[in-house]
Amino acid sequence: MRGIHLGELEELILLAAGSLYDEAYGVAIIEEIKKQTGRELNISAAHAVLRRLEEKELLTSRMGGATNQRGGRRKRLFTLTMLGKKAIDESMAVRSELYNRIPKLTYNFSS
Amino acid sequence: MSNSRPPKWADRFLRWYCNPKYLEEIQGDVYELFDMRLEEKGKAMANRKFIWDVFRFFRWSNIKRSSSKHQKMNQFGLFQNYLKLGVRNINRNPVTSSINIFGLAIAIGIAITVYFFVDIQFNMNRFHSKRDRIYQIFNHVEQEGDNSLWSDTPLLLGPRIAADLSSVEATARLEYANAIVRFEEEVFDEWIAFTDPVYLEIFDFPILYGNKQALYKKDQIAISHDMAVKYFDLEDPLGKELSMVFSNGEKRRFEVGAVMDKFLYNDNLRHHFYIPIDNFYDLKFQDHYNWSYFTDATFVLLNEGQDIETLQRSYEDWISLQHGSNPEWLIKDYESISLNEVALRSYNIHGAIGWDLHPTGRNSFIIMACLLMGMACFNFMNIAVTGAAKRLKEIGLRKVMGGAKRQIIDQFLVENVLQCFLALIVGTFLAYFLFVPGFDSIVPIDLQFRAFSPLNMVVFFILLLLLVGLLSGTYPAFYISRFDPVTIFKGNQKFGAGNAFSKMLLGFQLFLAFLAIVASIVLTDQLYHFTTRDWGYNPSGTLFVKITGDQQYEKLRNALLDHPNVEGIGGSTAQIGNSLPMKSIDYFDRKIAVRAFGASEDYFNVLMLRLKKGRFLTDQPIDQETAVVVNQKFVDQMEWKEPINKTFTLDSVRRTVVGVVGDFHYDQFFSPIDPVIIHGVDGRAINYLSVKTQLEELSTVDSQLKKAWIDITPNDPYQRFFQEDVFDDFFENNTANIKISIFISCVALILACLGLYGLLSFNIQKKLKEFGIRKVLGATPRAIIKVAGKQYSWIVLLAFALGAPLGFFVVDTITKTLFPDPNEVSVVPFVFSFFIIVVTFTITVLGQVRKAIRVNPASILRSE
Repeated sequence: MRGIHLGELEELILLAAGSLYDEAYGVAIIEEIKKQTGRELNISAAHAVLRRLEEKELLTSRMGGATNQRGGRRKRLFTLTMLGKKAIDESMAVRSELYNRIPKLTYNFSS
Repeated sequence: MSNSRPPKWADRFLRWYCNPKYLEEIQGDVYELFDMRLEEKGKAMANRKFIWDVFRFFRWSNIKRSSSKHQKMNQFGLFQNYLKLGVRNINRNPVTSSINIFGLAIAIGIAITVYFFVDIQFNMNRFHSKRDRIYQIFNHVEQEGDNSLWSDTPLLLGPRIAADLSSVEATARLEYANAIVRFEEEVFDEWIAFTDPVYLEIFDFPILYGNKQALYKKDQIAISHDMAVKYFDLEDPLGKELSMVFSNGEKRRFEVGAVMDKFLYNDNLRHHFYIPIDNFYDLKFQDHYNWSYFTDATFVLLNEGQDIETLQRSYEDWISLQHGSNPEWLIKDYESISLNEVALRSYNIHGAIGWDLHPTGRNSFIIMACLLMGMACFNFMNIAVTGAAKRLKEIGLRKVMGGAKRQIIDQFLVENVLQCFLALIVGTFLAYFLFVPGFDSIVPIDLQFRAFSPLNMVVFFILLLLLVGLLSGTYPAFYISRFDPVTIFKGNQKFGAGNAFSKMLLGFQLFLAFLAIVASIVLTDQLYHFTTRDWGYNPSGTLFVKITGDQQYEKLRNALLDHPNVEGIGGSTAQIGNSLPMKSIDYFDRKIAVRAFGASEDYFNVLMLRLKKGRFLTDQPIDQETAVVVNQKFVDQMEWKEPINKTFTLDSVRRTVVGVVGDFHYDQFFSPIDPVIIHGVDGRAINYLSVKTQLEELSTVDSQLKKAWIDITPNDPYQRFFQEDVFDDFFENNTANIKISIFISCVALILACLGLYGLLSFNIQKKLKEFGIRKVLGATPRAIIKVAGKQYSWIVLLAFALGAPLGFFVVDTITKTLFPDPNEVSVVPFVFSFFIIVVTFTITVLGQVRKAIRVNPASILRSE
């Protein structure tokens, strides 16, 4: 896992795609991110990152079925791969590991 | 929903640029966003955001490309394969390929050489950083209705401009003079330039030692690299003292204040000695200088951002100033020419100070290079088309196996461009090692394998490759790719020489060849005539020296007069062969430009000028003062029936014509013969002493003269010239032109032969079976030759019939602009060129024809 490095935006989008599970496509992802963090992403940026993640094999994609929305155009739906899941786990593990090591003492302002 | 569509053009733009692979998802997303925004924020906002999104998607990764990644890899592999095939094909047909490559290489080499030749001329003087602000001032003088442009301008003009005009930063003049320069034991007669001290600052001549301010000290001079070597062997030249004796006998000592570096290759203002102009005034060649005195050149440096028009407004003032000084020459108008253009215009400027070339000369080189290039390309096309005949089956197979037409075109294009590339390399080597140095040695210009702008040179090389490659490669590639596999495999593909287009190509190639050959042979003939032309006098056995002091002429004359081998001693103010000075005479109210010089009684016999009417001059005082002898041209121009005893005014003295001599060449033969006046002269005014002797006695007389010289004026250099050598520069030039023109005709001939050889060898190969059958049926060798040559002979004849007259016409036009009175053109060059062409062609085709005659029917016909 050492080889994979995730950028901040990449991680965010990967997480969003994972959390949306079967409904992860461009617009849904930026909506989700907006809802959760208040950050407004441009759709083209999301597309670029999604394609990059797919190249890194952290996501796979397939074309969804045609619906009446979007003028009948299909969506590209993204799902987390095993590698993608591992990458998230890894980065979460690193974070919580580091987080837990912060001595409580340091922030013990009250005493 | 119809009112809630996003802007159409943005949608169309998206569809246009977007990679089809991603279009659906991207379009879907932007539409969905649009719909969402439509509800939340209204139509205008949604539209704006939609457009924004579309533009944000306009990224490299989303843009449609002609080929996907996968296809590109494939293409690359194919190209590699094409290259390999190309190399193999060259190896398989070494003869045809080397003919092809070599022919092209010669033409490319010449094109490169001509490129450098033209490049240097268009970039003369462009190394000066202030060149866009530097102008040289010229003036128009009208004489006999003939408006001519002169480099000589009033001496006082420069300071006047500097004082009057605030738009001018500085002005500098050049005033030439002769001086005898001495350093210890080294004494030479040198050509020096007086100039304003600011001259070295206006221009950017590279300086080796010292600095640009050197000339501000009156006793300091700047010398060229050559001179520093000549006088001091370049050892510590700064501060060394040179002494100079000027034409009026004054002597000055100067300290070397600056040494300039070697002349740059595109330097057109090459002077060896620069002396501060204050010395010129001090030397008092004249007591007083007014606006009637002309200096050799005046340069102006404008202030930054100023326009030359500020100068033009003052022309009127300067004209009236000049007219007020009552000169012989009346300036009609001034003209300021940018330094960038001076060199290009010098050819029709009188007294131009730099090297120049008539544009006709330059253009004829360009035309010749294009002609040869064209011939080489046609040659290439022909051989490429016919050469492909051996590969018909390969083409057929490729097509059957699914090769698209496009791919076959690509394949042959790659092969042809590869050959062109090799030709470019060989041609560059030819140019570098052969043509440029060769050309440099015969033109009076510092030609190097070097262009002013390396970028332009690279562009030129690439263009050359593309042009030649595409021009000569496209047609064969398209032609070959058109074949139908079925006809190929059936074996009845009509092809090659049967093809009218191919014949046309050969015809055109031969046409160009004949044009070039006849043109250069006629030109050679013209130039050769100069070497045999009558000079108008007999230079044989005559030598002359330049007189440097008072009384020197009489003393030398007396010292030599008793010498048994001396047949005559004459004196003159200017020497025939060293361009004669221009003067103006008054005849009633006409002013006529003439050449005039003075000569003593014996001078006529020494040079053996030819008397046509009247008598030569004598040394009687009356003759010395008022009598003149004129040349035939003068009589013709005046339209005198009886010239003897006619009078006119020269130098405000009334002169009487006592004799007429036949026209003689006093300057290189390119310039027309002007009217010439020879007036009587007093012994003190004589500048040249000429001695006539027997040819075999020249060296004894020479040493005798030298001994006398050293006795009389030991301090002056003994400068002796042989009259026979006076036109050496011209003849050298002429020989150079002859060489170039012979070279071009040889190249044209070689290219034509290569083309013919290539086509014929193919055609005979193809018809071997036919010849075999003919032989079986009893054909004689003569009949076979007839059949083999039938197709080509009429093309050759037609090409000659068209090319030869055109070539003649071209040369005729050129000679008429270059030479004032060209020689009569005879039929000889035509016959000669036809003869040469026939002989070389015969040799070229002989081997092939032998093959046709010697064909063994049994072995040829066995296979079917």
